[in-house]
Amino acid sequence: MEIKSTLDCKGLSCPMPMMKLAKAFKELNAGDVLEMIGTDPGTKSDLPKWCEKTGNELLEEGEVESGVFRFLIKKK
Amino acid sequence: MADQKKEPGVLRELFNTFFAKHWPVWVGGVTLGLLNILLFAVKSPWGASGGINNWGENVFKLIGIETFQNASPTGTNLYAMLCLILVAGAFVGALLSKEFALRIPPKGELVKGFIGGALMAIGATLGLGCTIGSFFSGVPALSGGAIIFTIGLFIGTIVALKYLIWEMEKFPKISSGKSFTFLAVSENNGKWQVWLGWIVAIAVLILAYKVAGTNGVLAWFIISGLLMGLICQRSRFCIVKAFRDPFMTGESDGSVGVMAGLVITLIGFTAIKFFGIGAGETLRAREMTWVFDQFWLRGLIGGFIFGLGMTVAGGCAVGTLWRVGEGQVKLWMAALGFLIVSPLSKLYIVPAIVDIMPHTMKFKNYLPDYIGYAGAFLLVLAIILIWYVFVKWNEKTGRFSAF
Repeated sequence: MEIKSTLDCKGLSCPMPMMKLAKAFKELNAGDVLEMIGTDPGTKSDLPKWCEKTGNELLEEGEVESGVFRFLIKKK
Repeated sequence: MADQKKEPGVLRELFNTFFAKHWPVWVGGVTLGLLNILLFAVKSPWGASGGINNWGENVFKLIGIETFQNASPTGTNLYAMLCLILVAGAFVGALLSKEFALRIPPKGELVKGFIGGALMAIGATLGLGCTIGSFFSGVPALSGGAIIFTIGLFIGTIVALKYLIWEMEKFPKISSGKSFTFLAVSENNGKWQVWLGWIVAIAVLILAYKVAGTNGVLAWFIISGLLMGLICQRSRFCIVKAFRDPFMTGESDGSVGVMAGLVITLIGFTAIKFFGIGAGETLRAREMTWVFDQFWLRGLIGGFIFGLGMTVAGGCAVGTLWRVGEGQVKLWMAALGFLIVSPLSKLYIVPAIVDIMPHTMKFKNYLPDYIGYAGAFLLVLAIILIWYVFVKWNEKTGRFSAF
């Protein structure tokens, strides 16, 4: 799987991570995979909900190091 | 033996129910609504900006500024303590779920936090209230001024959201750059957070117990603050989110959660006011609780400025407080901006603007005086229902969403 781009949202709090994510997705093509890295616990509930609503696919969700989350999302 | 270890015990399961995952926002809304009703029954409804203002006055008092020597000490001020313990409650919630970490964002975000906090302070002192006092409590208190304040909040939120999107497009550097995270733990390490969480919770309860002998109401406010902070952190209860997200990603869960809380509070507050329940005041004093001199222009301007501030900061009054407890340093800056500017605004900005306003633009409007209790109750319920239909329709159609 090829990761098209990485979005670094470390240190940012609501609403910046979700805003940046939504903007980044506008610039992707269908099938592209984006990697997002962040530290706001809010993202853990906001991001899956957003994927469900928009139809983009959440491929992977995990923690790269203590307190730093990583998500892989594929554009619909 | 090894197999038994894998099965979590009953108590562990109970713990996980509360601290393994975030709660739905509506659970937060409903439980906060119930605690708010109890606060009113015991004394008076939930509020936040007044408490933060008291912190500011005490900071100025501490550094020896003459004007503030009469400020009431934070330790005995009900609302200052409620806010302070709410931060501790959020700290407990974050620790028990291992979500606490010092999260330091890029410099631009810190500046935005401070400016947002300062704007919230000006809005709160000018408009007499914040997202709690003049919205989450004020609207169910059947105050006409609170409804106008809320309209101002909405307009401010939309304008500031447009700004944030513009800033992200034109000046992406403001929200990017070097950031730091300290003290974070993960699922498999960092048991210290859980232990510290219990210690802080027990310390707050001991404080409430000690205070209870001389000041029962303060003890109740301390316990409520602990629970409210914990509930807010676990459900990520945020009024900016409720107002903003329909216009951002179109998501409506945050809004519906707040509405659930409003409806519960509306039922409780209407009963308390109608029957004059609680604290030895006259019926009229009970009715006029949380109805402020803000109808209509005063509330509208204040709400608008507050809406701008909370959206730029990324946290309303309570959203800022619980994120302070979670370790979001941007919101530390927002709280700092709020507490420094609030007493100054009250002293210098508010009189300059409010004194030139005619009385007809800043009076106490109690809705039942005009349309009766049934009318006021139904009006507020109808407004909540219209808001509900709007966010749900918008979620499906994306008509008003930016993305």
